Amino acid sequence: MAEFNIQSDSVDVTKVMAQIRRRIKEKRGADYTEEQIRELASVKLERILDPKQVRSDLVQHYQKLESPKGLEPIAQTEPAVIPDAVPFDEETIYSSSPGLKGRLVRLVRRVMNPVLRIFLNPDPIIFAMARQAEINKLTIQLLQRQTDLVERVNQQFERVGKKFTAREDIDKLNFEVLNNLVVEMTRLAVDVKNHKMRVESVAGRLDFDERRNRALESVVQRQSSPAAGDDGRSAEGREEPRPRNRRRRRSRRRPGTSTNARSDSTTTESSDKSGAAVPTSELPSGSESSNAEASKVTQGKPSDSDAARPPTASTAAKRPTSNAETPDTSTPRPNPPSNDQ
Amino acid sequence: MKLAVVVQRYGADLNGGAELHARYIAEHLAKHADVEVLTTCATDYITWRNELEPGMQLVNGVPVYRFPVRNERNPVDFGRQSTKVFEETHSIEAELAWLRSEGPTSPALISELRRRAHTYDYCLFFSYRYYHAYHGIRATPSRAVLVPTAERDPALGLRIFADSFCSVRAIMYNSFEEQALINQVSGNNHIPSVVVGIGSDVETHPEPARFRQATGIGGPVLIYVGRIDQNKGCNELFDYFQRYLQTAPALTLVLIGKPVMDLPVHPNIRHLGFVTDQEKFDAIAAADALVMPSYYESLSMVTLEAWALGRPVLANARCDVLCGQCVRSNAGLYYENYEEFAATLDTLRLDVTLRQQLGRNGKAYFKTHYSWPVIESKYLDMLERLDRQDMEYVPQLPALPGWIRRRQRTIPPGRQIVDQLPTGPATGRSL
Repeated sequence: MAEFNIQSDSVDVTKVMAQIRRRIKEKRGADYTEEQIRELASVKLERILDPKQVRSDLVQHYQKLESPKGLEPIAQTEPAVIPDAVPFDEETIYSSSPGLKGRLVRLVRRVMNPVLRIFLNPDPIIFAMARQAEINKLTIQLLQRQTDLVERVNQQFERVGKKFTAREDIDKLNFEVLNNLVVEMTRLAVDVKNHKMRVESVAGRLDFDERRNRALESVVQRQSSPAAGDDGRSAEGREEPRPRNRRRRRSRRRPGTSTNARSDSTTTESSDKSGAAVPTSELPSGSESSNAEASKVTQGKPSDSDAARPPTASTAAKRPTSNAETPDTSTPRPNPPSNDQ
Repeated sequence: MKLAVVVQRYGADLNGGAELHARYIAEHLAKHADVEVLTTCATDYITWRNELEPGMQLVNGVPVYRFPVRNERNPVDFGRQSTKVFEETHSIEAELAWLRSEGPTSPALISELRRRAHTYDYCLFFSYRYYHAYHGIRATPSRAVLVPTAERDPALGLRIFADSFCSVRAIMYNSFEEQALINQVSGNNHIPSVVVGIGSDVETHPEPARFRQATGIGGPVLIYVGRIDQNKGCNELFDYFQRYLQTAPALTLVLIGKPVMDLPVHPNIRHLGFVTDQEKFDAIAAADALVMPSYYESLSMVTLEAWALGRPVLANARCDVLCGQCVRSNAGLYYENYEEFAATLDTLRLDVTLRQQLGRNGKAYFKTHYSWPVIESKYLDMLERLDRQDMEYVPQLPALPGWIRRRQRTIPPGRQIVDQLPTGPATGRSL
């Protein structure tokens, strides 16, 4: 963001916003990059594998769970005997036993039928009874079908019961697999922790090396280039904290050393990582700089986070070595040209 | 010329947006016309409780007539009525019931306005969504000038207000976005209108050093001024700001205003509470930028004040009005998400040239469009324009439907109507 700069006096907010959005898009990429996909995937994986979220007593917990009981088979009962339907028609009420006697009784009933009709009308009774006989017949058919259905359901239940029994066996195997997984996960978590510590250690060493490199570079630049300008701002208008340098009077220039001082005028300004020009006047100068100043230089210009971070044991241990490796600054060097030159 | 300013609340110590707007307009128009204010006895916009004495009193030299509110707002009933009209298909009667429930229901104000209407040349109604504006416009349509102060909220989709927007002599909008919304929802393009806004009496020589000395805040400052409320987007602001602090740990967010939500406890978030105008202007002048996270604004006065003081604004891009103002003024940036918030804030913080240029643009924009002489002349020009119209002109005020039709549930939910309105800043237009 630091390199964002409006050159023109007239500002167009829509253009500024378009630039900002384009930069965000470029930074983010039009789509997810391979790295981001991996990062997202790793985030999800970490969540799953986070040992803090896995209960160590998971297996016991599973085992404590009441296992589903096996299905009890349905008790077989004797199938109910379905009675046959009784036929009924308009002659049934007059019928009698076969034979002469029966025929005589039927005849008398026929003869006496008009007398009976004086007292009651048998026709609706006959009709209702006939209809009831038909209903009974259909009901019996229905019952028969239901009985067949129940029989098929029982067969299905038996099959399901067998499956449940098999499932119980699979669950036992699952518990075993889960147990192994938890053990492996715990082991991996310990490994990850160890790796993290190793990465931190390597990062610390790398950080130290970078600072040392920077210090060496700055010393080389200071030797080869004189200071120019005293503006505390970078080219981007960013105000940066300057190391507090005490201007010291330099010793009178020795004859014959000026050629070295002017040998490389292109290094009067060094560029920082973002491309902002940093005047060399901000760099500690002076051939008489003490070891303490040199130590400051070797620290470079630490970022806020760096400044806040205490030196690690490794850096603290190696610091004297870095000072020892810096060029001998006590040797008289050519004076830089003054600003008005 | 005699003018009536009709507003829901009025007082020298009231800081609500529309109420302050009404007071400023009344006091500034009083230099050019005979102005009277008609308002209620309420001071609290939640309860509308009668807290001031009815009758006439002078406020900063302007006569103010107060009328009692018939009943306080019942929040449970209001919530139920709001759900009915905003979320469900409803009837005109339901909308009128919602209006009564919202308050401040003051029939005395309306009857007095009706009685005195012939004595006024024009009646300026502030805030379209309240009882006084709806019934006041129906009482005096030939003299009604509306200052809607509308936002993109579901109330804008109610049918009764579409009638109000089409039944006044003129409308004074706060922004082009507000004008576009109301045009879309009511089709009132034929009504004379002008985008005016509001001025502000900004301190011409604020002292940022005084603010820094009083508060002990050093380093870059981002400032928010206004009600600290979730509805104003403050929740999102706090979230974004705390994430951004990882990038710029020296940045301080200064909050000025009444909190109605829990504030995060963080050393870089400083709440100063309610301060005087002088302190507010000092604080804005000391800030690198003003942030305005609100989603819905009719016209942010504090944004204009920041521009008047030469400070850029960082606005929520999802607020059409703020976004449009930033684009038109070239004096502010806007964000839609955290990435944009961080990038725009980086730009404002680190690019001093751009920040200063935006500030200069804001100052010029305020001076050109929102200084008091400009605002006053826009009001007076509009009233003169109405004078030139046919004096007998009476807007076509649609009568309320009959008893049965008023109760027919045929009106779509207010939220549905507002959601269908086009969004985005009204670009390509200038004041």
